[in-house]
Amino acid sequence: MNTRALLEGLRFIDAFFPSGGYAFSSGLEAAVQGGAVRDSEQLARYGEDLLRGGMSRREALAAKSASRAGSIGSLPAAIRLDHELDAMKLSRESRLASRQMGRQVIKIAADQLLGQAIVHDYQEAIEANRAPGHLAVGLGLTLGACGWSGRETVAAFLYQTAVGLVSAAMRLCSIGQREGQRVLGQWLPLIDRISREIDIKTPMSSWSPLQDIYAMRHGQLEWRLFRS
Amino acid sequence: MNGIPPLVTRKRSRTRLGLDGIEAVGRVGALRLAYGVRDGRTILTRSYCTTPWHVLPPAYLDDTGAAYMQLVNPSGGLVGGDRLSIELNLDKGAHVLISTPSANRVYRSEEKPSEQIVTITVGSGAILEWLPEQTIPFAGSRFRQIIRVQLEPGATIMLWDVIAAGRIARGERWAFAALENDVHITTTSGGALLERYRLDPSTDLGQVGLAEAWNYVASLYVVGDSIAPEVWNRLESKAASLLDERPGQVLGGVSTPAAPGLAVKLLAKAAPDLNRIFDALWTAVRLELWNLPAVSLRKY
Repeated sequence: MNTRALLEGLRFIDAFFPSGGYAFSSGLEAAVQGGAVRDSEQLARYGEDLLRGGMSRREALAAKSASRAGSIGSLPAAIRLDHELDAMKLSRESRLASRQMGRQVIKIAADQLLGQAIVHDYQEAIEANRAPGHLAVGLGLTLGACGWSGRETVAAFLYQTAVGLVSAAMRLCSIGQREGQRVLGQWLPLIDRISREIDIKTPMSSWSPLQDIYAMRHGQLEWRLFRS
Repeated sequence: MNGIPPLVTRKRSRTRLGLDGIEAVGRVGALRLAYGVRDGRTILTRSYCTTPWHVLPPAYLDDTGAAYMQLVNPSGGLVGGDRLSIELNLDKGAHVLISTPSANRVYRSEEKPSEQIVTITVGSGAILEWLPEQTIPFAGSRFRQIIRVQLEPGATIMLWDVIAAGRIARGERWAFAALENDVHITTTSGGALLERYRLDPSTDLGQVGLAEAWNYVASLYVVGDSIAPEVWNRLESKAASLLDERPGQVLGGVSTPAAPGLAVKLLAKAAPDLNRIFDALWTAVRLELWNLPAVSLRKY
């Protein structure tokens, strides 16, 4: 990847980017209140399980495929995955969170990446209600259009997810910044393997029943800091 | 309508499966059932089966006219290379309960998976309650299940699907070689629900993970496009409350999927808890959606 492409894409995954991701915990808040995550060790296991079972063959696969679509300028496959993601995300809050963040990414990408027709076409499809606009697809298309490879796109997407989890955990549990960095570091080899191994020719699938259940339970929490 | 492609059932001949003549008997079993309504009662209008399937006449458990049928496979379970298919068609206004007499046991296979492919069409205003017993994947087994459901306008389905960790009583847990499950429900008025998982525990990305602490993983999907939103809201609240009644033994969540309806996921430690929560959820669904009391399936 050349430096210009790196910088173009980095701003979409940087914490400074206004995706609204700080408001979502991906069900972690319910897991903390339910006693499943109390310390950094439990957070490390919970997040690893989510990245591996829940997201590798679903969001990561969608991001890799969308990245390819973004680089070659072909939208139909990305829209098909977008709809499939919508059908697979059974928790209302997680589904809506993913759609809100994805729409924010594509809105700014369409505004900034003027030469990339596919980004504009995707935004039009979202506005016309022909595509749900999930984050994995929106970010994948955007990074692909910026010149990032599928592997780099997946790594960036999962890293952003991991940072969001650690950031939420630091607000929900007694986990400090150094512990948070240690947990993040523990997940990096897995993120690398997923970004390398995930095969876009296979159908999307997902297995993280524990995390799915906590994501569903978030809607029934009596008090909430996060929106998912 | 969303962009998920229409449901297509791949039909493979015995020859394509590598099973010819006598070798295919009892291995490639087809069951086709069609239901219609006559004089206010749901009846079996067409039936066809090949070994190992058996067709028994429907039973009527109450005076609503709903037909109750058990899917009977007396072979004792699935072995590698078996390919069972089920096609169900419910005509307009039919009401059918489907169950099985016992768990679906999947035996060890060195190479070939066993498959169960279910294709369901629920006609306008019809109701299907799909309530099979659990699937038990034995150590070393390879199983693939695909359930495709198409709901016509006004149709409703309640679909219950359970995977056990293995033969739990003998300490066998999460020891299968491969397990794939694919449940896809679509409505003609838009919206779809898709659960697809692929577990191959010997690989890095196919591990069972934190779910290993539990013995049963269950899904309950209730989908229908003619149910009022306040009914779904009441049912969601009721289900959430029921799921909290056995802390430590059952962990569950309920939410609204992209299809009109509810999705429940739950983990359970023991079969009695699983059965009790199923009964409670099923009773709540029947009461809220159709104002019907629970019925006894008379299996135990």
